[in-house]
Amino acid sequence: MTPLTAWRARPARTARPRRSATTPPWLFAAPALAVYALVVLYPAISGVVYAFTDWSGIGQDMSFVGLANFRTLLGDEQAMGSIGNTLLLTLAVVAVQNGVGLLLALGVNARLKSRALLRVIFFAPVVVSPVMVAFLWKYIYNPDPEAGLNGLLGLHVDWLGDPSVALWSIAGMVVWQYAGYSMVIFLAGLEGVPKELHEAAMIDGAGTFQRFRYVTWPLLAPAVTINLMLSTIGGLKLFDQVFAATNGGPGYATETLSTVLYKQAFVFGKFGYSTAVALVLALFVAAVSLVQVYYLRGREVSA
Amino acid sequence: MTDLLHDARVSRAQFFRLMGGLALATAATACSTRPETTATTGGGGTTTDLKFIGVSDQKAPMDKLAAAYAQAKPGVRVTPSYAPTDQVQTSLRTQLGAGNAPDLHVVYPGNGSAMSMSQIAKAGLLADLSAQPWTQTIPAGFKPAFQLDGKTYIYSAGSSVIGAVYNKKVFQQAGVDAPPTTWSEFLSVCDKLKKAGVVPIALGAQTPWVTQLITYALVPSTVYAKDPAFDDKQLAGQASFTGSGWQQAFEMYLELQKRGFFNDKPNGTTFEQQTSMVATGKAAMAVQVSAVLPDFRKAASSPDDLSMFPVPGADDAASVWIPAGVVVGLGVSAKGRNAEAAKAFVDFLGKQENINAWAKEIAAIPLTQDASSTIDPAVQSFLPFTKDRAVPFMDQRWPNAEVQPVHFAVVQELLAGDSTIAEALKKMDEAYRK
Repeated sequence: MTPLTAWRARPARTARPRRSATTPPWLFAAPALAVYALVVLYPAISGVVYAFTDWSGIGQDMSFVGLANFRTLLGDEQAMGSIGNTLLLTLAVVAVQNGVGLLLALGVNARLKSRALLRVIFFAPVVVSPVMVAFLWKYIYNPDPEAGLNGLLGLHVDWLGDPSVALWSIAGMVVWQYAGYSMVIFLAGLEGVPKELHEAAMIDGAGTFQRFRYVTWPLLAPAVTINLMLSTIGGLKLFDQVFAATNGGPGYATETLSTVLYKQAFVFGKFGYSTAVALVLALFVAAVSLVQVYYLRGREVSA
Repeated sequence: MTDLLHDARVSRAQFFRLMGGLALATAATACSTRPETTATTGGGGTTTDLKFIGVSDQKAPMDKLAAAYAQAKPGVRVTPSYAPTDQVQTSLRTQLGAGNAPDLHVVYPGNGSAMSMSQIAKAGLLADLSAQPWTQTIPAGFKPAFQLDGKTYIYSAGSSVIGAVYNKKVFQQAGVDAPPTTWSEFLSVCDKLKKAGVVPIALGAQTPWVTQLITYALVPSTVYAKDPAFDDKQLAGQASFTGSGWQQAFEMYLELQKRGFFNDKPNGTTFEQQTSMVATGKAAMAVQVSAVLPDFRKAASSPDDLSMFPVPGADDAASVWIPAGVVVGLGVSAKGRNAEAAKAFVDFLGKQENINAWAKEIAAIPLTQDASSTIDPAVQSFLPFTKDRAVPFMDQRWPNAEVQPVHFAVVQELLAGDSTIAEALKKMDEAYRK
């Protein structure tokens, strides 16, 4: 009740009348917050309890096991291996997706006649379901030397079947899907670069690269922050594409934290342990994003 | 791809007309399929709607028998829906966990998977079917697949076998007259086929469950023929994968690869590609479970070209054993509102003519047989074994759901040359003891 009474009391505070006008009327958001709390926060937090149990996912048998699940995780060779895969995959996806996204954005931002069409084309894969993308790429990654990518490039690579290649093949299809997403955010950033600065730089004799390096790039920093953060979170949580394309295989070569927690819950029937893995993943994602935002925000400038 | 798109080009007007038609069609079907949960029948009684969730393999027989039941019992209607195996694992387990399971649902025989009879019955979620007459005739060897603590919890129409699905025409063209009956004959047949320019064995090891089939085909001969009580010993901790005939089975598996009898890059090949290779004659055979024979036939231009033979895992034809597993079945949700009506439906499924009908749809050997039982000609050659030289699929007696996925993974690692047989067996032993 405190927020409500505070709100009622506000008109009485005549000493600072402007304050109430500028304070966000967050009470208006209360219904939405209540719904969010009910359908997102409550289940998420109540689920945490399972991380400390040995529940199988079905039936009534459940006992509290303290930190046993987390200790198991530390000794779980497969889960630990999957952390390595997840990090490598994330690193590859973040670097390439944003690099390609930036190039695409710079490209379609130029005065091309077809730029509206190109934007649509590059963005199109983003709206396709990740599982569909995985199925599509299974055909592209056909190991037959005369089919798919092999046929096109004259190669003989077992894209999804060779343990040393499979992880990078998955990174490739994720980049293909989401580079357009990064592009759109970079495009929004490019819109925010004032023309006058470019003109001034041109008058000072700056070339194309110099204008990019000293005018565009610093002003693009907020877009870089968002893009790096989103792609990092996406990479760490990667599931659909891996699951549909390789199911973690061959062997354990493409197992990610998300596929491990899925298998623990639904294949092995270890719901409690799976929740513990999920909790660790969530905390890990939160920690990485916070550090990233803190660091990247520091180097942002405004025009 | 490009040709396809080119041919499919439509004008804007055509496109809108097409979309309008689609919308109309959707609306029409949506109206006609609206569920009538409490529709009154002619007699004035209400209809009981039994919900069944199954896997795609069960669609053909269930659709048929649900319709037959509607004729026999107008007051009860069975509404089946189907999903791929891994989706069933997720959605069904979630429903079971949340306490809103369907009246009838898919159950895997024995133990060893998260949706298997033992695991779900242990959680108290399956109704006891022991009172039904058909349960009295379950063959002794199959009881562990159907029963936990002496009570029957799953209905299944019979058994399927694992063997080599082969293209008779390709065999003839390569000059192979009869299927091999010993391991060395098997190798020389493969050799002949390879020399004739076809892939001897198609292997779609990218699809996880396909990886296990060659081991499963060999282990009955290399392990159980020598020690029929291997499972009991392993459960008691007196035997392990390491140091058993499993080692030999893996060696034979890899020998096939070393000799170049598999298609190139099996780890990048899927079950669908494997099926089409055999169906189109690009490959001569595939080691598969008989339940997928209909898939191979569907993909072939002349289905009669396809048949099966037991994979001989020993050099002496008399000590060749085969894997014969109870096919995926169904159970009654113990806590469902319609448990009694659902049990009555299972009782109906247990009638001999319905067992026969179910088995026929999936090329299975009926659980019990009478004069009207038909057995698919493709699995005829397995019948002499089913009496005393057959063992259930290995996973049906494994103690937890982790051994099987580990087996998938180690086979893929072995095929990729990323692991040794000793390491693979060690990993399986570790998973077994979890």
